[in-house]
Amino acid sequence: MRVFTNPFDRLMDDLQETARPQREWVDGRGLLLIMGHFLSGVGAGGWAFSSALGFFPGEVASVAIVAASALAHLLFLGRPERFWRMIKIRTSWVGRGFMGLNLFMAASVVYLALRVAGLGDTTGAGAVWGLSLVGAAVIMLYKGNVYAVCRAIPFWNSSLLPVLYVAYALRGGTALLLLFLPWTELGTGHGLVEVLELWIGLSAGVCILFYLTIMASASVGARRSVEDLLRGRVAAAFYGGVIVVGFVIPVAIGLFNAVTPVSLGALAVVGAASLVGDFYVKYAIAKAGRFLPHVHGAR
Amino acid sequence: MRYGMVIDLKRCFGCYGCQVSCKAEHATPPGVFFARVVKRESGTYPNVRKIFLPMLCMHCETPPCEAVCPTGATFKRPDGIVDIDREICVGCRYCMQACPYEARYFHAKERFYFGAKGPTEYEAVGYAQHPTGVVMKCNFCAHRLTRGEEPSCVMTCPTNARTFGDLDDPHSEVSRLIKERGGEPLHPELGTGPSVYYLPA
Repeated sequence: MRVFTNPFDRLMDDLQETARPQREWVDGRGLLLIMGHFLSGVGAGGWAFSSALGFFPGEVASVAIVAASALAHLLFLGRPERFWRMIKIRTSWVGRGFMGLNLFMAASVVYLALRVAGLGDTTGAGAVWGLSLVGAAVIMLYKGNVYAVCRAIPFWNSSLLPVLYVAYALRGGTALLLLFLPWTELGTGHGLVEVLELWIGLSAGVCILFYLTIMASASVGARRSVEDLLRGRVAAAFYGGVIVVGFVIPVAIGLFNAVTPVSLGALAVVGAASLVGDFYVKYAIAKAGRFLPHVHGAR
Repeated sequence: MRYGMVIDLKRCFGCYGCQVSCKAEHATPPGVFFARVVKRESGTYPNVRKIFLPMLCMHCETPPCEAVCPTGATFKRPDGIVDIDREICVGCRYCMQACPYEARYFHAKERFYFGAKGPTEYEAVGYAQHPTGVVMKCNFCAHRLTRGEEPSCVMTCPTNARTFGDLDDPHSEVSRLIKERGGEPLHPELGTGPSVYYLPA
């Protein structure tokens, strides 16, 4: 692999490629965007599960994580001071995501304040909670769609991608709860969370398999991306991060736990490994993206 | 009125004149090519062919970059030119991912051709028109069009491979060439309706 000391030389090299790799959303400051996508998914998923279970520490952590994701998104922008202009929701999934994130932050903070004030059971609090769930749903949905509408990058241009991102967001949410098991009262009745994590983890694995199978027989650009994932420049992140840490370890411990219950610490490890895998899924999919080739049959 | 361009691939011999004249006209920073020539080889020895594909913003009829832009910074003018309002762009680079023609560039920070030596006098003046943190692209040399001149890449081309005109006018040179020579846009399957057509080599 060639190493470049400046982006100009790397661009010159990329331009020689028949299907040029996308760099803006993964390299350099682009990593902030991947981090933002990862954190927003975990936060939104975590909110959905912890608020359904009435688990206050999980709710607070979820809101803090989504706030951190907003910061990562903001720092990624070339002109962060103009962030408030991203309100075109009619056709732009980034605009929709921005509005969903705002809705979630506003509604979840108000809902938590009502909970702290002892008004969590009122009708108003229920309505605000509903709004926060709508915001969380938009956050989970928008990321996959942001990628999926890009027809310029065949590997991303699939309706399976939003499904995959939602699955990973839900899985990230349960993984977040698993992290709390050793230290909170959630650990006393954690069976539901374990089952959810295992089920969603397996579902996400199936989604990845479907996605790669379809892409492997899609257009030239998509096939190049699958090659990058399986035996190219993204293979280390894919096998190490997505498969081993993010899938094999959590599923192995989860299945072992179904036979012989493991410690809460081991389940927290499952949560942490799942989160690492979640990050690497987003990283690997973004990194493997290549633009549509313009000249067919060329080398 | 819908501005468009026809590029005759039979005439293009890959001299990079368009690429250089565009850089000179717009004083674009290193790594930014509003007009560029893609060179590729196809086939295997002894049946090898060299392909030159001059590329630029296609000023699509339904531009995907405009649809995904979350701020409305990318807009389509009544004359068909797709342009960017640099005062509104937030630099999210979504348009770059959506453009199938890789016609957009992000101006992250000021870079000069001679690195640490700083900007030349030309760069100091020219780069002032390119704010950092935003996306930039070809606009068919809109400033030249207002003066009644053709885009610089068209004017420079030594083989007259490029023709510029009104696609809506059935009697224009561009419409005639497309009709008579069977001009095709790049990636018509995407349904973007490019305003740049290629005549077969």
